[in-house]
Amino acid sequence: MNTKTLKRNTKTSSFCYKSGTTPDNFMSLRIEAINKNEAFARSVVAAFCASVNPTVEQLTDIKTAVSEAVTNSVVHAYNSKGGIIEINASLYARSVHIEILDSGMGIIDIATARQPFYTTRASEERSGMGFTVMESFMDELAVEAREGGGLIVKMVKHFDVSA
Amino acid sequence: MKIIYKKLNNILYIGIAGELDEAVAQNARDTLDSLIEEPHIKKVMLDMSELVFMDSTGIGVLLGRFKKLKARGVPLHIANPTKAVDKLLTLCGIYQYMPKVSF
Repeated sequence: MNTKTLKRNTKTSSFCYKSGTTPDNFMSLRIEAINKNEAFARSVVAAFCASVNPTVEQLTDIKTAVSEAVTNSVVHAYNSKGGIIEINASLYARSVHIEILDSGMGIIDIATARQPFYTTRASEERSGMGFTVMESFMDELAVEAREGGGLIVKMVKHFDVSA
Repeated sequence: MKIIYKKLNNILYIGIAGELDEAVAQNARDTLDSLIEEPHIKKVMLDMSELVFMDSTGIGVLLGRFKKLKARGVPLHIANPTKAVDKLLTLCGIYQYMPKVSF
């Protein structure tokens, strides 16, 4: 990916780009939506954050939240049939802003989907705790429909606050 | 993800190590189900001292096994969870179904 594309991506993303400030570091990752990539995705984001010396607990929180969002895309958005997941992260001195995007089926009622233990797939032993975990382990969470279909999950973790 | 087990005095000790997520969940379900099918067990102890990562997919796996055991009247306990896993189990209220024990 050339630097022009990277720049355009960071600038069009209002969330991953704190107003008026440039992140110290930025990453973008595009992966196939298969469950084998969950461990890869969470490890990449955790490694990306390592340079600002987060605590072990903060890193685990981030890994867990990323794993939840990626699993949602793999299982629900793409119904385990594959697709593209994009992960962007902007690192600041004391926080990381993470976006996870898919072009899958989306969620009709996001507010309901975010409720603890709500799942459309109880028969598959899904816990329905994915969004609750993201919300609890991160400091900010926003879930939005993407124009043209799909979902965008935005999360912020502050490194000063011990969760 | 690796699962080991040992039966002692009709207590089934199962150790689950590594990472438990969607990628290995079905493998975990199948392996755990084949182990807990064992008759004459009065309790299952799931040792999580070497489980370094788990997400909510793992919660679904645990609740599924809990229900199967409960139908037979066999309690399931969670032993020695790592700090990371303990935080998730606490958030999800799992210990009200599967008490936490240390040994």
